[in-house]
Amino acid sequence: MEKILLRNIGTPESHTLAVYRSRGGYASWQKVAGNMKPEQLIEEVKASGLRGRGGAGFPTGMKWGFVPKDNPKPKYLVCNADESEPGTFKDRLLIEQDPHAIIEGTLIAAYAIQSHTAFIYIRGELAFGANRLDLAVEEAYQAGFIGKNIFGSGYDLELIVHRGAGAYICGEETALLSSLEGWRGWPKVKPPFPATHGLFGCPTVVNNVETLAALPWILDRGAAAYAGFGTEKSKGTKLFSVSGHVARPGVYELEMGYPLKKFLEEDCGGVPNGKKLKGVIPGGGSMPVLRPEEIEKVNLDYESVQAAGSLLGSGGIIVMDETTCMVQAAWNLARFFAHESCGQCSPCREGCHWMEKIFHKIEHGEGDKSDLDLILNISGNIMGNTICPFGDAAAMPAAAFIKKFRDEFEAHVAEKRCTVKSELA
Amino acid sequence: MDPIKIIIDGKEVTTVKGKTVIQAAAEVGVAIPHYCYHPKLSIAGNCRMCLVEIEKMPKLQIACNTQVAEGMNVLTQSPKVLAVRKAVLEFLLINHPVDCPICDQAGECWLQDYYMQHDRQESRFEVGKVHDRKRTIFGPHVVFDGERCIKCTRCVRFCQEITETGELAVVNRTDHSTIDLFPGATLDNPLSANVVDICPVGALTDRDFRFKVRVWYLQKTPSICPGCSTGCNISVETYQNRIARFKPRVNEAVNSHWLCDEGRYCFHDLAAGERLTTPMIRQEGGLVATTWEVALQAVVSGLASAKPSAGILSGRNTNEEAYLFAKLIRKISAEHALEVVYQERELTPVQKILMSPDRSPNFRGARDMGVSSNGGYEALLSKLVAGNFSGAYIVGEDVAATAQEPEKVRAALAKLAFLVVQDTRMTETAQLAHVVLPSTHFGEKDGTYTNRNGRVQKLNAAVIPPEGALQDSEIFAQLLGLAGEQDGYANPKEIFRSLAREIVSYQGLNFDSIGDQGIEVGAVVAGHHDR
Repeated sequence: MEKILLRNIGTPESHTLAVYRSRGGYASWQKVAGNMKPEQLIEEVKASGLRGRGGAGFPTGMKWGFVPKDNPKPKYLVCNADESEPGTFKDRLLIEQDPHAIIEGTLIAAYAIQSHTAFIYIRGELAFGANRLDLAVEEAYQAGFIGKNIFGSGYDLELIVHRGAGAYICGEETALLSSLEGWRGWPKVKPPFPATHGLFGCPTVVNNVETLAALPWILDRGAAAYAGFGTEKSKGTKLFSVSGHVARPGVYELEMGYPLKKFLEEDCGGVPNGKKLKGVIPGGGSMPVLRPEEIEKVNLDYESVQAAGSLLGSGGIIVMDETTCMVQAAWNLARFFAHESCGQCSPCREGCHWMEKIFHKIEHGEGDKSDLDLILNISGNIMGNTICPFGDAAAMPAAAFIKKFRDEFEAHVAEKRCTVKSELA
Repeated sequence: MDPIKIIIDGKEVTTVKGKTVIQAAAEVGVAIPHYCYHPKLSIAGNCRMCLVEIEKMPKLQIACNTQVAEGMNVLTQSPKVLAVRKAVLEFLLINHPVDCPICDQAGECWLQDYYMQHDRQESRFEVGKVHDRKRTIFGPHVVFDGERCIKCTRCVRFCQEITETGELAVVNRTDHSTIDLFPGATLDNPLSANVVDICPVGALTDRDFRFKVRVWYLQKTPSICPGCSTGCNISVETYQNRIARFKPRVNEAVNSHWLCDEGRYCFHDLAAGERLTTPMIRQEGGLVATTWEVALQAVVSGLASAKPSAGILSGRNTNEEAYLFAKLIRKISAEHALEVVYQERELTPVQKILMSPDRSPNFRGARDMGVSSNGGYEALLSKLVAGNFSGAYIVGEDVAATAQEPEKVRAALAKLAFLVVQDTRMTETAQLAHVVLPSTHFGEKDGTYTNRNGRVQKLNAAVIPPEGALQDSEIFAQLLGLAGEQDGYANPKEIFRSLAREIVSYQGLNFDSIGDQGIEVGAVVAGHHDR
C-alpha cells in the first residue's frame, strides 16, 4: 500500500525543509494559499472523509465548518501534539521525523478557518521533538511559507510552538486550550464548544498531529484518492502504535479496515516465544481490553472496533500474552489515571484514586470478593458523569479488565497472590 | 426575552430563553441540589451534584450549565438522577474526615443536608483517606481545612471574579487537589470573609465566629449593617442576648449576596464595653447617678438656657430617632444648629465594591428628618471649637475621640455651659457632660435607615438592651413631653407614621410595607398609603 502518513519516514534528513521540499513538500500549501477559497478547501476535506485521529474520530471538514464565518473575533487553529495516551507514540514519530508535514497541514487547516494565528501545543516531555518543530517552523518562516503575505496572497499567518508542562489531561482539547491560555490545565465545561468559544474565548479548531499531517497528501492527490482507501465510513489510512508482546512493535500505517488479527500475526510477527495471546487493548490505554476470541473478526476501523465492544481511539495497540497478570495490568492503568485526573470534577477526582486503591489492594493479596463489584459500581458512577472524557477513559478499562478476566481477579482474591506464571516472577 | 415552556417533573413551567435549568427550576420552587453553582459566580460545573435527566439527551446534564429550550422535559427526581446524586455524594465524602462534631459548619453544612436528603448509605470506602492541611490560616478572618474541602472553587472564583484580587487557586491534581494561597499572598481583601459564607462545607470558617456558638442555637434577625451608608442587608445572629455574627442577606438592589469585612465585624466595637444603666448628672466632684426624672428635667432646662446650642446626632441613629431629635432641639432651643456625624475617607477600588466612604449608615435619613443646618458636620465642629455654642446635645458618638482635632474639640466641649451626652458607654465625651443619658445601640432597636441611595430599610432589634437604658426614641419622646408636646411617639411604627406625614419625600411610606428588602424614597406604590 502507498504510504500517506509515513511517506517521508526513513528518508535521510526527512526532518529538514530541503528534503521535505525535494519530496514535494509545501506544494499543497502553495496550491491552497491564495488560490483556493476556504469553503472549497473545507468541501475538499469533507469529501476525503478524513476523521480526527486524536481518538474521537470526528469528521475534520465538518469540525472546520462549525467555525462561524461572521464572528468578528480572531480565529485560532491549534495542532494538538500533546500525545500522551498510554501505548500511543505515532505523533511523536511524525513530530521528530516529518515536522514539516505537520506544519504544512497546520497551515492548510488554519487557512480553512481563516485563522491568522496558529499554535502547535506539544507535550512537554517531547523535548527532542519540540526542538525539531522549532527549527522546522523557523525554516518555514524563512522560506516565506509562514508570516505576512504568504506567496503574495495577502494571507497572514503566525505559527507558535508551545510546550506543555506535563499533564496528560492537556491532550483533551479544552484542557489544552486552558493551558495555552496560561491557566491550570482544566477541561472547560461544554457548551459552549471551542468552535465558537475556544482559545481566549474565540472560535478555535483543535486538530491532532496525524489528522493535520494527512492534509498535504489529500490536497496534492485529491479527496477521491484519499477516500479510495479504507471502509465506507472510515476513510483513508491510520497510524497504529503497537507495543507489548509482539515480535515487531512499532508504528505502522494501515488502510482503515485492515484485519486486526492478521495485522498482529503477520505484520507484527505475532506473539513471540511461542506464548499465547491473552488480551489486546486496541485504542490506547483508555479503551476497553479485548479477549483473543473477541478480536477474531475485528477490523481496524472505527465501526468494527466499536462493534467488538471497544474503541479505535488513538490506535495505540497494546498486546498482552499469557504471562501478563491482568490484575497488575489493570492496576498499572488505574494508577496512571489516578495520577493524571485533573481533579476538577468530583466523580473523576475522587473515583479514579479510589479504584486504584482497590486494584492495589487486590494485587497485593488483600482483596475481597466484594471489591470486584465495587470497582464496577464506581466505574459506572464515573462513566458519563464527568466534565470531560477522562472519566470514561479511566472507568472503561477498569471495568473491562474485571468483566473480561474476572476469574483471574477472583483467583487473586481467593489465593491472596498472583496465579499467573509470569516471566518476571 | 422570549417566553418558552418547559416541563419540570411533569409540570409545565413558563420561563424565558437564556435561563438555565437550575434557574428555571428554582423559580418554580424546585431546588436542584448543587455545590459549585452560585448565582453570582461563573459556571464551574465541577461538583456534578445538579445532574438531571433531560428527555432525548443520552447522558445526564448539569442543570447549572444547560440552557432551557422550548419543550424541554426535565426530570429532577428520576431513578437515574437520584442514583447519581447518591454517587456524587459518596465521591465527595470518601476522603472527607466526617468530623461533624468538631466542625463549625455543622448545622449549616450542605454535605450534611444533602447526605440526609439524598444519600443515607454507609461508607463503602475502606482504603485510607487522603490527608490534607488542617487549620491553615488564609487571612485575618478565614481559616482553611483542606480535608473538608470539596473543591467546588466558589472561593477561588469569588476572588477572581468579584474582588478581582485572585489570592486563591487550586493546586495539585486528582484527589490531592486542594485550595491554596498564591505564594506570598494573604486572603486579606476587604471582602475576604464572604468566602466563608459561600463555602458550602466546613473548609473555610470564620476565625472570629468559630467555636463560639453551635449555629442551631443562633437566633437570626433581619437587619441593616451599621458599618456605613451602603446599607447592606444582614442577618444579626445572636446567642444568649449577644451578637455572635453578621451574615449578609441577599438584596440585589443593595449588596447582592455580599458583606464587607469591616461591616461584618463592626458589631464588636459597637457593642463592646461596660454599659451605662443609669442617668448621671454633674455635681461637685463629678458625675453621679440620678433618676430619669431629674436627668430629663435638667436637660430641658439646661438646653433652654444655653444659647445657642448644638445638636449632634450619630449616623447610626434611626430615622425615627432623628425625626424626634430634630423636633426636640427645635422645640427647646431657640437658637441651635443640628448635624449628623459624617466623615469621609479614601476607599480602594476593592473597598468601593460595597463600602461607602463614611461610617454613618443613616446620614442621609437623618438629614431627611431635618438633622441638618446646611453647614455640615465638620463646619459645626469648627464653630464648636471656635466657641460659638454655649450648649450641646450629643447622641451616640464619642465626638471628643473621633474628631480630626480631638484636643481642640475636647477643650471646647469642656468649656460649654451645658453638655448632655446620650450614649451606651462612658465615653471621653460623656465624661465631659453635665447630664449623661444611658441609651441603646443599633442592635437593640427597631426603626429605619435610609441608605446613601435613598433606600429606606428596616432595622430590627436583635438583642434586649440592659435594664436601666432607654431607647433613644423613648428619651426624645419623654423630653418632648416635658417640653409640652404630647404626641403619639410610643414606638417606631407610630413615629414613622408621623414622619411620613410630615417629611415630603417619605409621604406615603408605611412602616410595615418596607419589608425585608426596603423601599426607595419616592418609589411609593399605590396602596401603600396609610393615613
